[in-house]
Amino acid sequence: MNEFDCTVCQTLVHGYLDKELDPETAANVAGHLAECAACARLHDQAQLLKVSVRHKAPYYAAPASLVARVTTPEAPAPGALERWRKWFAPAFSAAALALAMVLYVATPGSEQPLMDEAVSSHVRSLMGEHLNDVVSSDRHTVKPWFTGKLDFSPPVFDYSAQGFPLLGGRLDYLQHQTTAALSYGRAKHIINVFILPAPEADKPRQSQTIRGFNVVSWQANHMRFVMVSDLEKGELEAFSELLKP
Amino acid sequence: MKRFEELFAPHLDAAYNLARWLTGNDSAAHDVVQESALRALRFAHRFVDGNAKAWFLTIVRNESYTWLKASAGRHWVAFDDESDENEAAMSHSQTPELLAIHTENAALIQQALCALPPAFREVIILKELEDLAYKDIALVVDVPIGTVMSRLARARAMLKLELLKSHAHE
Repeated sequence: MNEFDCTVCQTLVHGYLDKELDPETAANVAGHLAECAACARLHDQAQLLKVSVRHKAPYYAAPASLVARVTTPEAPAPGALERWRKWFAPAFSAAALALAMVLYVATPGSEQPLMDEAVSSHVRSLMGEHLNDVVSSDRHTVKPWFTGKLDFSPPVFDYSAQGFPLLGGRLDYLQHQTTAALSYGRAKHIINVFILPAPEADKPRQSQTIRGFNVVSWQANHMRFVMVSDLEKGELEAFSELLKP
Repeated sequence: MKRFEELFAPHLDAAYNLARWLTGNDSAAHDVVQESALRALRFAHRFVDGNAKAWFLTIVRNESYTWLKASAGRHWVAFDDESDENEAAMSHSQTPELLAIHTENAALIQQALCALPPAFREVIILKELEDLAYKDIALVVDVPIGTVMSRLARARAMLKLELLKSHAHE
């Protein structure tokens, strides 16, 4: 390495001291230092400086007042807060517990993730060529296809007469459960009907709109039904009436 | 808040140390770190992964410079690595023994460090006192990684010069 001269070494010697050079360059520097007294002296001085700064320069640790202030911002007057806590905390806990119980009993549970997943799955089913695993308008072809793939038996019917022909079925996966997905047509619209087992028996119908898709869901016979389509809401609800036993 | 405590609270000493060295002033360092902590908290969601210490120190450094600029007013000057002086020439002429006497004196070391322009002082603080790797120093002071070594080389040469100057004043 013939361009390895003192000028280059004067910079590299710092990387060498800081152990930041690749092995080859480090070896070159070591080789040059062994031969060049001037650079070796520079190296020794730089090392002396490094050690001295490390040991002699003051280290300004954060004052305790600053640490306290930064880690607990907007701390109010402690006296008042403590007193407040002493008396109100138990009462507040009791109230919160009561409220939690009321909510637990009264709300139908968070189903939003399921609905979102169903909409995503619907969108995905239309993207590629993966609408159906079994393509058939014959319910006696589609229903047996699910047997052995699911641990429940989804109702499969064709509604061609009512204008909702069965297009086929596929396996899907929602909320960590294997799910039956049936597809129906309505003019140029596709309707995905997701059916998965549910712990509770019955739940009334709910309609909502997620990202522009209409979603109608209900629960019957320990099965959760989620219908997703870009079909108009009224028509989708009408279709759900057909499916409901 | 929890995220802040996990990510940045362990580096408050490093933050204060850098701010204190850059501003040269306790109350300024206090303000700078407090403001930096607020910023870190506000932008914590932007921190994805990597070195939380370097990330936090980047904010602290920027806040320190903001303070420096404000306090210097119109007299603020930027530093560049190109401005050439004669340290290199001088450094060769000094004996290591003379330097050794001065490096024993903590007050002289501090004084010499404070005499360096912030752009050079900070790389020495980050390297020697915080023991940051070049790649993290590059992140904090916002220069290419290749520049870190040359700036440290210059910073150490300037520091040596300052120490030898202090001898001349005795």
